[in-house]
Amino acid sequence: MNADLMSTIESIQHQTSSDAILNVMYAALGEYGFESFIVSGLPDPGVDVRPFVLLSGWDDEWYERYTSKGYVHLDPVARNCFSTTLPFDWSDAPYDRENDAAARRVMQEARDFGMDEGFCVPVHMEGGMQGVVSLVGKTAHLDEKARLELHMLSLYAHGRLRYLNSPLSRPVVRRGITPREAEILKWAATGKTASEIADITGLTPRTINQHCENAQKRLGTNNRLHTVVEAIRHKLITL
Amino acid sequence: MKLHIVRDPADLQSRELLEQNFLLRHRVFVELEGWEALRRPDGRDVDAFDNADATHLLITDSAGALVGGSRITPLDRPNLLQTVFNGLVHGELPAHPSLGADWTRFYVHPDRREGRRRAPESAALFCAVMEYALSQGLSYITFVSSIYMLEHGTAVGWRITPLGAPVMSDGKPTIAAWIEVSEQALSNVRRVTGISRALMPGDRSPPVTAPGNAGFYVR
Repeated sequence: MNADLMSTIESIQHQTSSDAILNVMYAALGEYGFESFIVSGLPDPGVDVRPFVLLSGWDDEWYERYTSKGYVHLDPVARNCFSTTLPFDWSDAPYDRENDAAARRVMQEARDFGMDEGFCVPVHMEGGMQGVVSLVGKTAHLDEKARLELHMLSLYAHGRLRYLNSPLSRPVVRRGITPREAEILKWAATGKTASEIADITGLTPRTINQHCENAQKRLGTNNRLHTVVEAIRHKLITL
Repeated sequence: MKLHIVRDPADLQSRELLEQNFLLRHRVFVELEGWEALRRPDGRDVDAFDNADATHLLITDSAGALVGGSRITPLDRPNLLQTVFNGLVHGELPAHPSLGADWTRFYVHPDRREGRRRAPESAALFCAVMEYALSQGLSYITFVSSIYMLEHGTAVGWRITPLGAPVMSDGKPTIAAWIEVSEQALSNVRRVTGISRALMPGDRSPPVTAPGNAGFYVR
């Protein structure tokens, strides 16, 4: 694989903001002749797409129109993502050209905004959720190699954006232990056994073990040594 | 859910779990995913790499039923990546093979893949693989899979580097790549999946010291 592509992949994974990923993707996609793109989850029928959008490089007016009017549910390109795992050209997204006036209108309006051709990468997430990376630009010149590269880049961008948007608030392992647990871990850190710690503290060995196990649960550690190490590392005990 | 780390030869209970694993793998990889090269008349997916070098990470539910698994094989012993899938590898491994392992046969029980929930079985396996790799002192894990693994891996905060260009194999975009093993990678996958506790059974998992070491450490 060429060095530019490798460094783009590396770069996507190092970015910590959506804007930065937008810039990396713009630079990379330009090499393939694409002008803009969007990265989004696809909601169930009738659900507003806006909370699902991870990154938009679309023209503001078109974005506003597309998202506020629920076009995602009419757009043959978006709908086709549910029926295939492979990337496809927008022009290959099937719809009933005779009778599906709504789909026809979305395709026509997209053309009016200069988005008449594009390449769409469906993203199947674990748990059956569906996402999409859709690139705006001509596709006729793309060979299989280029298509696979675009597929790969799109997946990296989608994955990284999903990571950056994952709930950071979820309690990162709570790094708190009780004063009693801290006291016992301090003795454990000096090499004392449970029964020795019991003698020192006046508690039973069983209680000592219970405190250690509680601390282990709180810290998400594997055994007593690991618990002591983590407690020191997170400055929950000082020796 | 409970993680079992099974190596061969294992105790009786683990052998039964391993046998269930082989049957389930055949169902998943052959019958559902159409990997015909693995088809066997006895309905067990067992290949040349299910040997004493392999470590099986198996997840059971609260009722003790097997709900997902993965196989880890050393890269300094015969392995899938450098034989069957060698054509997908063009770049160098990031470090000496003894510092890496090959992650293969990752699956979740088909009955557990229905619906829209984020499969906790798959989340647990992701956490288990990273936790296991760290416990073994590995610095990277290789894999060959559908290109979608790149998305699933980066979405849990892992750094993944391709070992070659993606290719179409049996109509599926396929890639060989390696995942960086680090405390950060473990903390990221735990945070995203919400699995904050260690999954590995207590202190029964000393590093595998020698290739082909026939020890077992299953609870």
